[in-house]
Formats: sequence, structure tokens, C-alpha cells
Amino acid sequence: MKKNSFIIILLVTLLLCTSLATSGCTDTTENLGENETTDSNTLKIGELWEIDSINPVEDGTLMCEKAAVVETLVGANENFSLKPGLANSWEQLDENTWEFKLRDDVFFHDGTKMTADDVKFSLENVIAEDPRVASMLKITSMEVVDNYTLKIKTSELNPILPGVLHYPDTAVISPSSFNEAGEFVEPIGTGPYKFESFDEQTRVLTVVKNENWWGGEVGLDKMVLKGMPDPNTRAMAIENGDIDFTVDVPYSETDRINALEGVNVEKYRTPRVYKIDVNLAKEALADVRVRQAMSYAIDRYEITENVLYNVGEPAAGPFLPSMVWANKNLTPYTIDLEKADELLTAAGWVDADGDGIRDKNGTALKLNLLTYSARPGLPPMAETIAAQLKEVGIDVETEILEIGAITDRRNEGNWDLYLAAYNIAMVPDPEYVLSNWYMTEGPDNNPGYSNSEVDSLITEARKITDQEERYKKFNEVEAIVYDEQPMILIAYYGCAIVKKDYVKGYVFDPTAHDYRINADMYIEK
Amino acid sequence: MVITVFAVCALTFFLMNVIPGGTAELILKHTFVGLEESATEEQLNQISSRYNLDDPLYIQFFRWLKSAVSGEGIGVSYVYKKPVLYLLALRLPATIELAGASMAIAVLVGISLGIYSALRENKVSDQILRVVTLFGVSMPGFWIALLLIIIFSLKLKLIPVAEYGGLENLLLPAAALSLHSMAAIMRVTRTSMLETLGQEYIRFAKAKGLSIGKIISRHAFKNAMLPVVTVIGFQMGSLLGGTIVIEQIFAWPGIGSLLVNSIYARDLPVVQGCVLAIVIMFLLVNFLVDILYTYLDPRIRYG
Repeated sequence: MKKNSFIIILLVTLLLCTSLATSGCTDTTENLGENETTDSNTLKIGELWEIDSINPVEDGTLMCEKAAVVETLVGANENFSLKPGLANSWEQLDENTWEFKLRDDVFFHDGTKMTADDVKFSLENVIAEDPRVASMLKITSMEVVDNYTLKIKTSELNPILPGVLHYPDTAVISPSSFNEAGEFVEPIGTGPYKFESFDEQTRVLTVVKNENWWGGEVGLDKMVLKGMPDPNTRAMAIENGDIDFTVDVPYSETDRINALEGVNVEKYRTPRVYKIDVNLAKEALADVRVRQAMSYAIDRYEITENVLYNVGEPAAGPFLPSMVWANKNLTPYTIDLEKADELLTAAGWVDADGDGIRDKNGTALKLNLLTYSARPGLPPMAETIAAQLKEVGIDVETEILEIGAITDRRNEGNWDLYLAAYNIAMVPDPEYVLSNWYMTEGPDNNPGYSNSEVDSLITEARKITDQEERYKKFNEVEAIVYDEQPMILIAYYGCAIVKKDYVKGYVFDPTAHDYRINADMYIEK
Repeated sequence: MVITVFAVCALTFFLMNVIPGGTAELILKHTFVGLEESATEEQLNQISSRYNLDDPLYIQFFRWLKSAVSGEGIGVSYVYKKPVLYLLALRLPATIELAGASMAIAVLVGISLGIYSALRENKVSDQILRVVTLFGVSMPGFWIALLLIIIFSLKLKLIPVAEYGGLENLLLPAAALSLHSMAAIMRVTRTSMLETLGQEYIRFAKAKGLSIGKIISRHAFKNAMLPVVTVIGFQMGSLLGGTIVIEQIFAWPGIGSLLVNSIYARDLPVVQGCVLAIVIMFLLVNFLVDILYTYLDPRIRYG
């Protein structure tokens, strides 16, 4: 019939047109990593974030820990104690002076030897570019004593300096990473992998084996890193075999993916903690009994199991128990509704009108709980906590806001509880977190907590050079804030490493800021 | 058109600054400090002076406008440290490719199915198509995208999940993106076609003994297309909006994903640039639609 042939013609033109329309614009990009994936010893990584920059000062975590192109002066062990990196040893000469001895067998990828001048150059570069690192380092001047010795002067006593030099942004780069105009061109470092190419359009980063790495044999010939910001996409990409290694697929998917043939999922704790800041400026919350009651009402085990799918663990203190300086005597608050009831009743909060919500002098115990959605565990965790607090008669309304809106609300003082996931080892040293969180006027002391004993313990610890003694002071601080609960710690953050079974030799590094690719990794198909 | 572009730029600029949270603070959090950490006064001042954020907004806006009009460029990204025009030049082709392919699919499939459906009014195939398009109009694009990945990548193993380059990589995102517009176009085509086919001149053409194919291609098609073209113009807007989500899912290196990342990081010059590019594309398409109108219906003339 004529009618039908007309439709067929239409459909054929349609097909032709679509293929024409699309083929016209595709031939510009043929240089992608997929052609190269035939090499059997290439690791394809589905990176968490889109790759914005290959400059170690701007994205040190990527260039140092994930792409392993650059390295830091100081390394860290599994228990967060420091170990030599590009620096062999370091010593505090007096209050404001440190001396770093460098390795004398390290070569940059361009073949030149790494000297103290290069280290000085790198640190000056990061200080100029990154206000955060600058304020942690507190460096006033640096002096090159000889080729492998660098003296560093700080503006004040700064016991965390070696710890800060573990921070990836401080990694050492060769001055030849910059052109004559002083603009950054490409990262030339000392690490097990060398920068090969970065496709600015697709933002795919390729690195290759450094044959002359000072640390010895390197496992892989090549790594291809591509940013996949969507967790579902990462899950499907590894399931489909497009990538060999990725992290943080949706937590709810971890068990299903682990059950797949050829893929395994490993769950680890990472140095970040989910916690609730309590606004102590609010009358009800200034009462320590109310805060303790809340802590007793929250079932941390239920949360880690059902909200985090065991990607994480219940938290006691701000530090992971595996950290060398952690107070090991603390155990997470366990759910105890009777105790919570006792404490709240003692504080004068009882359900007088029988509506299920406690009240005192005619005001009901109603609180808001702010959180944000950038970390997927937070919104469901907030809902769960609200439901658990309701059990003991506290009415909590959760509000999921954008981070900027939360900052504004906090500046106005218009908040009661704030659930967030804070980094606890930006720098592998306890002082950084404790003084930021718990000292009066500390930069991250959102609750407005002030305890003169805590303040003096931290100040005293600054002057102690013996680590054991120093850690004792910090343990005391931990014990005090455990009792007083100005911040209610919920759970340690977790990380799900997803990789193909043929990826061998991977060792999880808890001190990494997302994950670290170690030089021994290799592929065995 | 110039006024529209100016208005949109001004609006974007001021809206971005009205969003809660200081610009300097957010730049700091996203590029240096980490999301949760608080920024010190000193760090804030440093960032503010680095990007001239302390000046009053209207001065910032006019500085931007001046350099845009004088052809110096439209700013430098805070995050990528590259000129915005350079970034757009890198990303725009991918978006045009995706949006173009989706539009082509939507228009061709939508119109053909619309006509087919109109011809088979109330027959089974028409009913099925109508239900399917209802489905297409109501399903969110990201869900369709995930569904397509599950079927074509994971089950059938035909196409990699998220890569960019070859034709096969374009298929899934373009299909996911076009579905909504395709359904909308099909529905309008069907209605409009039915209306046209009910006109007296069509009955006359039939009486003359013309074949149905000729009737449609010579007489009905052009007349029925007017509302369809309008819808296509509108759909271009929703398509460009849709690319933002779809690009994120398929890790597609277009301006949609650039825009999303930049909004999070408060990379104002890039946000401004992306919005500008999207608005210009949208206006161009609508301009083409207007031209098409005069072709389809010569009675429409513009002053």
C-alpha cells in the first residue's frame, strides 16, 4: 500500500539524517583512552571528581595520592604516625626552627636530581597559591644549608609542621613544571608514575611508569584516570568493565556489586567523622544532661548498618581507634532509652501534656537539624536520628540545605543541631582537630564550646616535644569532651574500594584523603 | 536579541550573588579548604582581593561587561585558571553534538510517528503509540538514562557506560535526552495533523483522487507543521536544560557538566559564560524557528 511505503521512506530518511547529523561532529575526538586499553598492564580508574586541574597545588590529592606523580617530604604509617618520605629525617632545633634532611637519591621525571633548592621552591609555590596550607605551615623563611638540608623557620611554635608536610598539596615539584613566564605547564615530580597526557576536553589523565623511581620497581605500565562524578555511573562502569578500579559506589549497591563475578568491594574506615554540632547558645542544649540524653538515644549501630550499609563504624571520640594518639578507653555511646529518660527528666524536660513531646515551662523540646546532601550518607542519617530522638520525646525537624545556606544560618545563630562529616586527619596530628574543634573560639568550634581545662591542656601540649606525653594531654581532652558532648559523634566515615579481581597488590592507606594508589599495584589477568 | 542576552547576563550575575553563602567563602571551601572546614578571615580576605570580590556588585558586573563587549574575553575561571572562552570552546562541541543529535532524533522520529499515529487514528497502533508517548513525556530523563545503561551496557554489553568519542557513545545519551522532546513533538504533530486532515481542502484533495502520500506531503504537512515548529523551539530549551543532567550521568564533557561543577564551586565567570552560551544557542534556534514560520506560512511577516 502507498501509505506504508511513505512511512518507510520517512523512517529511512530519518535514520540517514540522524547518522549524518551525528557523524559530522564526532571525528574531532579520536584520541581517547579506549584505544590504549589493549595494554594488559594498564589500570583504568573511575575517579570520584571531575579532574579540574593537574597542578599539584590545586589538586594535590589527585596528583600525589591518586595519580602518584608527585610525593611529599613526609609519609605516614597506617596508625597515622609519621614516616620518612622524600625527607629522611627532621628535627626541631629550637621553638621556631626545623631542619629537614632530604634523600640524596631522588630524581625528577626530567632526569634532574632533587635538591633542597627544589624543595624550597615547591614550598614557596604552595604558600603563595594556597592560603589554607600557608596558614597551617606558618613558615616565615627557609634556608638551604646544603644540597640535601633545608632549615625552616616558623612564625610561632608549630609542632604540626611535619604533619602538614604530609598534606598532598605540599608535594615537591620540579621548577621545570613551569614555563619561562612562570606559568604551570605540567607536573614534573618524583613519584612512581610520570605525567603523560591530559585531555582538556574529556579531562582524562594518563600517567606512565617511572622506570627510575627511587622506591624501586613500579607495578603498572600505565594508569588512565577519568572523573566520574556520579556514583551510579561509577558502579555501572565497573560492572560493565569500562574501568578496573573506583571508589564509593552507592553504599546500598556495595553488596550487590561485591557478589558480581570478577569484582570485589572492600570497605574501610577513613579519617572523617559524622558528627552533630550542638548549638550551646540555645538554653535547652546548654544543659549537658540534654546532650548526653541525645547521645544515649541515638542508635549508632543501627545507623551504620542500615544507613551506611557498614561503610563506616560507630564513633566514640573524634579519632579513629587505630590512630596512634587516640584515646583507646572511649567506647561509643550505646543506646539506653532509660538513661536518656532519666537525664531529660532530671533536666526538667517531661511530657506534661501527653503529646509525646517533652516540655518545660510550657515550651516543647523542638529542635531543628541542619545537614547538606553533598555527602550521600547525611540526609538519610539525619532522618534516622530525628526518628530515634522522637522515641525519647525530642521533636527534631530535619532541614537539608545547600552548604552556603547552612553557613548563613549558622552565622545568624538560627540553628540547633548541625550534622556534618568532618575530616579528622587533614594533617596527621591530633592537635589540629582538637584545637580547631574544642578550643574556645576555635575556627571549627561551631557549638561555641568553652572549657578552660580543655584550653589549657591543649596549650600545654604545644610545648611538649615528647610525643607520648603530648598525646596524654590530648587523651584527657578527648575524655572531657566525651562526657560533655558539645559535639555528638555518630560514626566514622567509610570508603568502599571497588576493583576487579585481577587488580592485585592494593593496600588501603587510611591516611589518604580519598584513596591512594600504591606503587606495588599490578594487574594479573 | 541583544537586550535579552544582556538581561540574562545581568540576572545570572546578580542571582549567583544572592544565593546564600559568600562567594569568597565558597570558592575557598571548594578549591582549598574542604566543604566542611571553616575559613579564616585572613584566607577570605586573600581570596576576595585575588578575584576583586570586595568591589560593589555593579562594578564587578560592569567590569565583566566591558571586557566582554570590548572582545577581551569573558573572564578567567577561578577553578580552572583558564579563560572562560577557551573552556567554552573545549566543551561546546560536545554539547552541540549531544543536543543536535537529540533534536534530530526527536524531530524526525516525533514527526514521523505523529503522522503515522494521525493516519491510524484510534486504531490499535495509534493507541499503543499514544500510551508510549505519555510514558515518554512523564519519565524523567535521568531515569531513562540509567535504564538505557542497564539494558544496553550492562545486559547487552553493546556500549561502554560513560565514554566520549565515537558514534556509539553518543547513542545512549542522545536517546535518553531526546525521549521527552520526541514524545512532545509526536503528540503535537498528531493533533495538528488530525485537525488539518479534517479541513475541507483535504477532503477536496481526496475527492480529486490524490493518494494519501501526496495529500500529506503536498497539502497537509506544511499546514500542520506550524504548531509543531513552535513546540520544537520550546523543546530546544528543555533539551539544553536536560543536557545538564544527562551530561553528568554519562560523564559527557559538555557545558552542562561544566555549568553544574561551576555552580557548586561558585566559579562565577564560568557560570556566566555557560549561561551566555546556552542563551545564545536558545535564541538562535528560536530565530531559526521564526524564519521557518515565514516559510511555512507566508502570511506571517516581520516588520
